[in-house]
Amino acid sequence: MTGFVDLYTEGNTFLHRMDPRVKILGVLFLSALALIVANLYDLLLLLALILVLLAIGRATLRKMFYALKLVLRVMVLIVILWPFFNPVGEPVLFHYGIIKITEPGIVNGITVAVRIACLASVWYILMFTTAQRDLVRALVKMGLRFDFGLALSIALRFLPTFGAMVESIKDAQRARGMEFDKGSIFKRSKNYVAVLVPTIVSALRTADTLSLALQSRAYGARRDRTYLRDPAMRPTDYVALALFGLALALPAFAKYVLQIHI
Amino acid sequence: MIPRPSGKIDQDFFVVARDIKYTYEGGIEALKGINLRIKKGEFIAIVGGNGSGKTTLAKSLNGLLRPTAGSVDVAGRPAATMTVAELARFVGYAFQNPDHQLFSGTVEEEVRFGPKNLGMPDGEVKKQVEHAIVLMGLDGCRSSQPLSLTLGLRRKVSIASVIAMDPQVILLDEPTTGLDGREMSDLMSCVRALNEEGHTIILITHDMRLVAQHAKRVLVMAGGRVVLDSDPAGVFSDLEILQSSKLEPPPVTVLAHRLAEFGIPLDIATPEQLVEQVMALLGGKR
Repeated sequence: MTGFVDLYTEGNTFLHRMDPRVKILGVLFLSALALIVANLYDLLLLLALILVLLAIGRATLRKMFYALKLVLRVMVLIVILWPFFNPVGEPVLFHYGIIKITEPGIVNGITVAVRIACLASVWYILMFTTAQRDLVRALVKMGLRFDFGLALSIALRFLPTFGAMVESIKDAQRARGMEFDKGSIFKRSKNYVAVLVPTIVSALRTADTLSLALQSRAYGARRDRTYLRDPAMRPTDYVALALFGLALALPAFAKYVLQIHI
Repeated sequence: MIPRPSGKIDQDFFVVARDIKYTYEGGIEALKGINLRIKKGEFIAIVGGNGSGKTTLAKSLNGLLRPTAGSVDVAGRPAATMTVAELARFVGYAFQNPDHQLFSGTVEEEVRFGPKNLGMPDGEVKKQVEHAIVLMGLDGCRSSQPLSLTLGLRRKVSIASVIAMDPQVILLDEPTTGLDGREMSDLMSCVRALNEEGHTIILITHDMRLVAQHAKRVLVMAGGRVVLDSDPAGVFSDLEILQSSKLEPPPVTVLAHRLAEFGIPLDIATPEQLVEQVMALLGGKR
């Protein structure tokens, strides 16, 4: 469980400087766009745009690969399986018994895979260029209750801590002769109890201490809290927001009002 | 490759570490070449500031960490050829935080987990569990829920769960942290009993008073190296090495050093020793 990595990379690109609220909306707009666009080539164009934005945000190839590893597996599965379950249209490339594979089926599979790649990678624009605390601050500013914002930032903050704790617990049980990848399923699931119980108990103890620490620093003493940092939109942020908005609005207008097939 | 020394030299030693190095992912060199030979029945304290490599060294001895260079032999076999579970028969490791290992419904079940993992026959498991529980003084709470016990008792349960595997070497990682004076002396008398049974004790600690009272050999670590390996007297007569290793000498040792000009020796580690020396100076008169 060493996989807890903060995706944020420090930097000073225009994406880093952009107001997190604009980034959140922008990413939502681009996600919606990926759902509207149905044409494979247009989707590839969108994916290229997202990758360019990621590159501008100084996302290294290694980090991008790390982030997309899981999605890549799903994409490969979809490309392989889709044609079998969606044998539509002509020309038929292969037909044997109930198995039928058509060219549009293959294209549809690839299209869906690319769409998933767009939907997954677009969020990395936000994650790679926004510190967790700024993200939470933006969400609070957008109307999320501060309590929830705090809970969210604590959860994010403690992920690596709990990751290290789980490692330590696994080590402690390994030192007691426990072997994780040996034995029957029954034995293995029993082994997981030996990790799960100490993890939950330690997490609860940590949470208890943390709540006391928060209260002793007067958490919740006043309803109307003030903020040290108050994110403010700058002119460039409005421009970026407008561009993101147009990127969604124009294709949507073209598709639903002008009935242009995209 | 340097040829391994023939077994004969190392025969008397249960654990032999040859020039082990360990570098963590991210490039932190935690061990920078450690040579160590440990006989059966020794009582060793590993002391040193935080980040000096104590825990990394300990974990290298039971296979939780595999040295990035050098080799470790345990019970005459290269540790690299054994799994952590196999090594657990020889080197037991009680972690600092007992809450990281307790999970069972009763103390007895908790203690049984280790020996059962090792595949001991039922009769032997029963015997070892009984022995561990009695030795750690847990007789009164054998059917209690381990996690509901006090920290002192939880730590005893975690140590009992290690000694029930009957390892020759028992590594204790800061076992006295957070205990009160009574719990501490109680725990240490159990550890002493284990040592008297023939177990090798390796105690990782910051507490120099504990070292003075119990250890027969002290390894002082600093910056990933063993900077001093001697009996406690040797360590306590060298205040400089203690201080440069971020360790606090016991007050009685500091006092003895102040009294050096009156003929008090420098290697005083316990009040009893000081009293003895002062009495000798006074000619035995009270």
